[in-house]
Amino acid sequence: MLVLKGLPASPGIAIGPAVLLPGEVVSVSRQYIGENEVNSELEKIHQAIQKTFAEISACEEKVHQELGAEYANLMGTHKLILQDPMLQSSLTHKIQHEFLSAQAALFLTLQELAAPFDKIEDPFFKERRNDIFDVGKRLATNLSGDKQHFLASIKKSSLLVAHNLYPSDTIHLQANKIIGFCTDVGGKTSHTALLAQSLKIPAVVGLGTASKDVHAGDTLIIDGENGLLVINPDRYTLSNYRKIQRELKKTEALLKTINHLPVITQDGHPVKLFVNYDPRTDNKDNKRLITDGLGLLRTEFIFMNTPKPPTEDEQYQVYLAVAKRFDMRPATIRLADLGGDKIPDFHLDELAQDDNPFMGCRGIRLFLKNPELLHTQLRAIVRTACEVPAQVRIMIPMVSSVEEVRHVRVAFDQVLQEFAQAGKHPVNKIALGAMIEVPSAALALDGMIGELDFVSIGTNDLIQYLVAVDRVNQEVAHMYDPCHPAVARTLNLIIQTAHKRGKKVTICGELASDSKMLPLLLGLEVDGLSVTPRMYLRVKNNIRHSNFEHCADLAQAALLMSSSDEIRNLIEQNDEHENP
Amino acid sequence: MIQQNLEIKNRLGLHARPAALIAQTAAGFTCDISLEKDGVTVNAKSIMGVMMLAAEHGSSLQLSTNGPDEKSAFEAIKALFDNNFNEEF
Repeated sequence: MLVLKGLPASPGIAIGPAVLLPGEVVSVSRQYIGENEVNSELEKIHQAIQKTFAEISACEEKVHQELGAEYANLMGTHKLILQDPMLQSSLTHKIQHEFLSAQAALFLTLQELAAPFDKIEDPFFKERRNDIFDVGKRLATNLSGDKQHFLASIKKSSLLVAHNLYPSDTIHLQANKIIGFCTDVGGKTSHTALLAQSLKIPAVVGLGTASKDVHAGDTLIIDGENGLLVINPDRYTLSNYRKIQRELKKTEALLKTINHLPVITQDGHPVKLFVNYDPRTDNKDNKRLITDGLGLLRTEFIFMNTPKPPTEDEQYQVYLAVAKRFDMRPATIRLADLGGDKIPDFHLDELAQDDNPFMGCRGIRLFLKNPELLHTQLRAIVRTACEVPAQVRIMIPMVSSVEEVRHVRVAFDQVLQEFAQAGKHPVNKIALGAMIEVPSAALALDGMIGELDFVSIGTNDLIQYLVAVDRVNQEVAHMYDPCHPAVARTLNLIIQTAHKRGKKVTICGELASDSKMLPLLLGLEVDGLSVTPRMYLRVKNNIRHSNFEHCADLAQAALLMSSSDEIRNLIEQNDEHENP
Repeated sequence: MIQQNLEIKNRLGLHARPAALIAQTAAGFTCDISLEKDGVTVNAKSIMGVMMLAAEHGSSLQLSTNGPDEKSAFEAIKALFDNNFNEEF
């Protein structure tokens, strides 16, 4: 048994025999041609281009029907690549003047055209290289006369393993027997990952060596939930995954039916379920979700990949589009949490030299040192709130003291006044809250809560700071432990402190969508959770199957426990009892 | 010949869809149309050329048109930039 870790690209579990996609290198059977063969080679290329064009057109039609216009556009891009003057003139030149065979000319042209893309650092643009190879591979297949498409020849349900998988390959998967796939390369921004999700088959990408480690016929488990590939699993692992798979299938069918139902426990305890929204990765399924509102808009992306800080107008355009999505519901916008691992391209003195960035100048600390950045972002948000009926909420990241909250409050009031002087007022009163992720803010929250309208808990960072563990450091990563007694007690302290003053608490971060931890969070009386669109219905379903009174008992028991193991046993036993 | 610097204002930059729009629009004219960024000049009729520029949000490109219909070609391409390539933001 061998387990490889990659990135989860599409959720679900698939179990079955492996098939390996033949390598992506275009094979060249013959390098050079004689002068008398130039015309026939040119004709071969011409024919191949026409045939490929027809194929892509047919594919476009099919994609349009099955996946919608968005993906059909991709095929349109492929047609343009095929007709690209750079491609055509390079092919012609190589055949006519360098006497290369049509195959060799194509191979070299693809290498040349893709080379500049390898140098691009932005993963979003770099991925476009795959579109070029995709078209090139189709062209090569038609050129070599090899019409037998590998994917079409697969007869029984299999898991596909490939070094890289091109968008056109993924499109063939649906009609075939591929029930899951994994690749050595690929990122979350790749077309392949996005297509996999719309095909609704489990996929894991970025596995590094999967195509070398797997042999045809090996039994594989593709765990699209956790981004794992298990090669030749032992009997115990296999039966465990079969069980998980059955559960997932049942849940998947059920989930579709609960979208319009309220988020409420079996015994009638209501919970707000918000969504962490990222406008860059929106899709049809997300748009169908009925949610209680936007729980967390991370705004760092607006500040990344840009040579200068975004202007008020640029930010406003983003916030406006997002807030409109959430009509009259809450729309929580977090001030940019720059620093840590989010370093913008433009220069900020505080970020230049930092040996310990997670303890350094990040989040609100950085913005208070750069008041113009804070002012611009607050203006963009307030301007949005003057235009839309959404309940705009501003969340301050990395708060560690009440002074920071006060400074932001002053800056915020000043912005409100600026707008008032211009005769503009927010449609709804804007709420100002804090992300509690630093232990000092949690412990001293009683002194801070009076200045806050709401509280959110960022569990990822809170746990990291509570147990003093850097999750990236292999030596200590296992000590990052959501079951540590300090975590439950700190959450309890935050929630109780806020409730005493009538303020609501929402939990963001991975913990919010961890099904085993859910009873503990509910039992601690959290008011809301904010989760990714992908997890939304699952969490909703879990809440609807929870019993609040039972959860409260569980939480009280956990608060009295003194070790991680005790708490872990408690929630594991509870989970087995609830989901046998 | 007409030349002017244009700024990329849509959030995602010249990704596949805007690049396709530019190449398609440019292909409708007979004049030479080129885009230049950081010393790299590409044929605007080539989608691969345009994508190769990896022009992100906020970057500036020089558009040049040269030939019989250079004026209308210039206006057509400039309009794409001005309208953020019909993207929301």
